[in-house]
Parts: sequence; structure tokens; C-alpha cells
Amino acid sequence: MRIVVDHNLCEGNGRCVEAAPGIFELRDDDRSYVLEEQPPASLRGKVELAARLCPRQAIRVLDK
Amino acid sequence: MSALKLETIDIVDPDLYVSRGYPHQEWALLRREAPVYRYERPNVDPFWAVTGHAQIVEVSRQPALFKSIQRLFMTIDEEGAPDPNEGILRQLLNMNPPEHGAYRGVVNRRFTPRGVQVLRQQIETITTEVLDGLVGREECDFVLDVSAKLPLAVIAEMFGIPRSDWDAMFRLSNMMIGPSDPEYGGSNTVKETLELARMEFFQYFNALVEDRRKNPRDDLASALANGKVNGEPLPIFELMSYFALLIIAGNETTRNATTGGLFAFINHPDQWRRLKADPSLVPHAVEEIVRWTSPVIQFNREAVADTELNGQKIRAGDLLCLIYPSANRDEAVFDHPDEFDIGRNPNPHIAFGIGEHFCLGANLARLELQVMFRQLAERLEAIELNGPIQRMRSSFVGGIKHMPVRYRLKPRA
Ligand code: HEM
Ligand code: SF4
Repeated sequence: MRIVVDHNLCEGNGRCVEAAPGIFELRDDDRSYVLEEQPPASLRGKVELAARLCPRQAIRVLDK
Repeated sequence: MSALKLETIDIVDPDLYVSRGYPHQEWALLRREAPVYRYERPNVDPFWAVTGHAQIVEVSRQPALFKSIQRLFMTIDEEGAPDPNEGILRQLLNMNPPEHGAYRGVVNRRFTPRGVQVLRQQIETITTEVLDGLVGREECDFVLDVSAKLPLAVIAEMFGIPRSDWDAMFRLSNMMIGPSDPEYGGSNTVKETLELARMEFFQYFNALVEDRRKNPRDDLASALANGKVNGEPLPIFELMSYFALLIIAGNETTRNATTGGLFAFINHPDQWRRLKADPSLVPHAVEEIVRWTSPVIQFNREAVADTELNGQKIRAGDLLCLIYPSANRDEAVFDHPDEFDIGRNPNPHIAFGIGEHFCLGANLARLELQVMFRQLAERLEAIELNGPIQRMRSSFVGGIKHMPVRYRLKPRA
């Protein structure tokens, strides 16, 4: 699994950080950064929750 | 048992919204039998009514396939209505990527959770003042005396608009969002009301822009007046439209969440006692209020290409109408969706939309509502209706125009 945050969409709403702390981090530019681009499969549920909750739908979870 | 039938239900006639509020039973029927339903009636252009949570999300997250258009919402054909495809403004809600992102970027940093935090103290102060205005009386119109005041004051202060002009902003904003309501439109047609309001708005904003180009400040008016899209200043019509959008969108919606929220508490006194006993519930309560009231009823999209949605064949050019309050009562997403539960968590409502056009003001609205309900929970000792509520004549934004209440309010602590 690979995670990508589209910074053209992300507006720092931080829902991803709430859903999957340790994977996403909100920085001073009000954008979310992926701390672990290829996290272990066991975290897939949390990552998908983050993607689903993101108000701007800025998170993509890719399969490779 | 209800005898509602898909073929005969009406979900767009604005008069129905006045007489009975949101058609929750009709929407529930649609969700159950046809969450993507071809709505064909003699009094309205045909469209797809999208009522399911999953389907609204699916449409919203594909702005390239389902584009935003000038025609923002569906309503019945009425004499004196403007051409729906012309649109009275050109702003974020009718733009598409990549233009949309470029325009949104002009002010979006002021509306992020971090961006709105700088307003917290101001919002606390305004709210306290608004509630102070109720002290020494026992009756008021909660809409005019409370709900309408806070969002207007906050957005006007963000813009740097002086107090003496707030009443004009209130009046014009009502005309723009409720032109089909006689209280706002008077004897003018919908089209005349919209054009009058637009003209007055534009004159006002034009003067503001000129001033802020000469004397820039740190306010929203200056950010827009001196803002750039792809390296160029905004064209005048888009610039004026942006001002109008932010004034209007920030006003009616939050006002109606406030009124509708208090109305819900009056009807659910157990939840009111719960909030008073535990103010730490305020953030959850606000999410539930926004889910429950869902002040924006609908926004349209147009299919760009032939496609399929929930098994239905959608043709390029078809209109789709996303009905947010219905999604927020979707049984597939919420346990006991028809219960008002201020502890609801998680609460994945989409009252602010989702995706490309996700409400720019969501964090501002949340902050305003949190401050308002925290202060109300602290100071309001008793509250009851003092007459019937009056709803706005609109199938676009669900508005309570008047809510007479009798109350007991503590003076400032
Ligand atoms: C409870 C209050 C509010 C509700 C329920 C609400 C609801 C919505 C919804 C559903 C949309 C999405 C439209 C779409 O997908 O086509 C939207 C967009 C928007 N809202 Fe709000 N809103 C609220 C408060 C505010 C406030 C306080 C502002 C302040 C400026 C605001 C400004 C906007 C703007 C500018 C857009 C357009 C965003 C875009 O197209 O990119 N709203 N709102
Ligand atoms: S939830 Fe979405 S918009 Fe918010 S910070 Fe995370 S990626 Fe960005």
C-alpha cells in the first residue's frame, strides 16, 4: 500500500491525523504530510478511514 | 402507515418547505427504493435526485466527471424566475478544476482550522455581546436577536466592513438567498430581487476594493482586492462575486444551524440537560446540530460524460441534485439516524459537502457554533417556544426566518 496526499486539495483539516496518527502529520504550511509512505498492511484500516473522512478527499491509497 | 409513492412525491416545491419543513419521509423512501432517482414532474426540469450518502460522496469526489455549474439548485418553474443557466454570480460554487483551485487558493488559508483560531477571542466577545442584548427581557425572536447576529458580525469583521453597514449586508444577503420568499423579495419577481441585490452589493464592494487597493489592511477585503489568480488580479465580475459569495454563504447557513440547533434542544430537553451538565460535549453537539439541521438542502452537478451511478444510466448533460440532509439521515451510515444525539461519535455527516467544493467556511461555522452553544449552555436557564416558527420559502437553503421564544438568561458572569 502506498499513500499520497494531493497538496492541491489538502487544506489542513487534520482529520487524517486524528484517524491515523503517526502516519500523517500537519505542518506549518497547513498541509498534511505522509510520515510513512508505505506503512505495514496492518494499518490499512486506519489509512482507509483517514481517506474516507478527509473532507477534501485529498488522500489516495494505492495498491503498490 | 404512510402512503407515499415514488411517482407522486414532491421534493422541490418551495411552498412545501414553508408548510412542513424538510420532506424527511419522502427522502427516506427515495433512499430505500431509489437513492439515484430520475425525478420527472411537469413543474420542474428533469434531474437525478441523489439521496444516498455513498452516492453523494461518489459524485462529489469526481469533479471532472460531475462538474459544478451555474445552476446551483433545482426548484419549480415560476413566473419571473431568472434563466437558471445564466447565474447571477460567477464564483467557487460554479467553477471547476483547475480554475476552481486557483480561485479557492486566494483566501483558503484564512479558513483552515489554524486560520480561524485567530478569530476565537473576537467570536467569544461578539457572542457575549449578542447574549447580553437579551438580558432584561423575557421574550425575543431568536433568529433576529441571536442567530442572525453572530455569523454576520464575524464575516463582516473579517472583511473589515464597519458596523453601520451590517444591516445592509443582512438585507442584501437575505434577498440573494431567499428571493422567492415574499418577506425578502417584496412584490418584485425573483429575477428583479436578485438583480437589485447584486447591484447594491457590487456597488458597495467596488468602493471597498478601491479603498483596499489604496490602503491595504490585514483583512479579507484586502486579500481579495489585492489577490492574484495565476499571477493576475481577479477580473472584476469574479472579484465582486467572490465578495458576495463569502458574505452570503457565511450568513444564512450558520444562522439556520443556530436556530435549528436551539429548536432541536427545545424539542429534546433531555439533550439540553445533558449539554448543560457536560459542556465538554459541545464539539460533538455541534456536529450533531449540523447533521440534524443540514442547512444546505441541495447543490447540483452536471454529468460531463455518459456514466453509471448506482446502476442507473446517466447521460452526458444530465443534472444531478445532491440532497445533503437526506444523506445525513442515511440508515446505512448512522445508527438511529432520526435520533438527535449530541454525543454521536463518529459522525461522518456531509452537511458541508465533501471533496473539491467542501465548504470553505466549515471551520469558521464550527467555531461560531461551538462558542454560541457553549455560552448558551452556560447562561440560558429556561427556554420555550412563544409561538410558531416561520420557515423560509426555499428548496435550496432550509431557513427558519422567525422563532419567537420565552426565556430566562443569566447576566454576564
Ligand atoms: C452550518 C453552516 C454551513 C453549511 C451547512 C454549509 C454548507 C456548504 C455546502 C454543502 C457546500 C458545498 C457545495 C458543493 O459541494 O457544491 C458549501 C460550500 C461553501 N461554503 Fe459553506 N456552509 C456553511 C457555512 C459557511 C460559512 C460560515 C462560510 C463562510 C465564508 C461558507 C462558505 C462557503 C463557500 C465559499 C463554499 C464554496 C466552496 C467551493 O465551491 O469551493 N460556508 N457550504
Ligand atoms: S484530512 Fe485531508 S484535507 Fe485534512 S489535513 Fe488530512 S489530507 Fe489534508
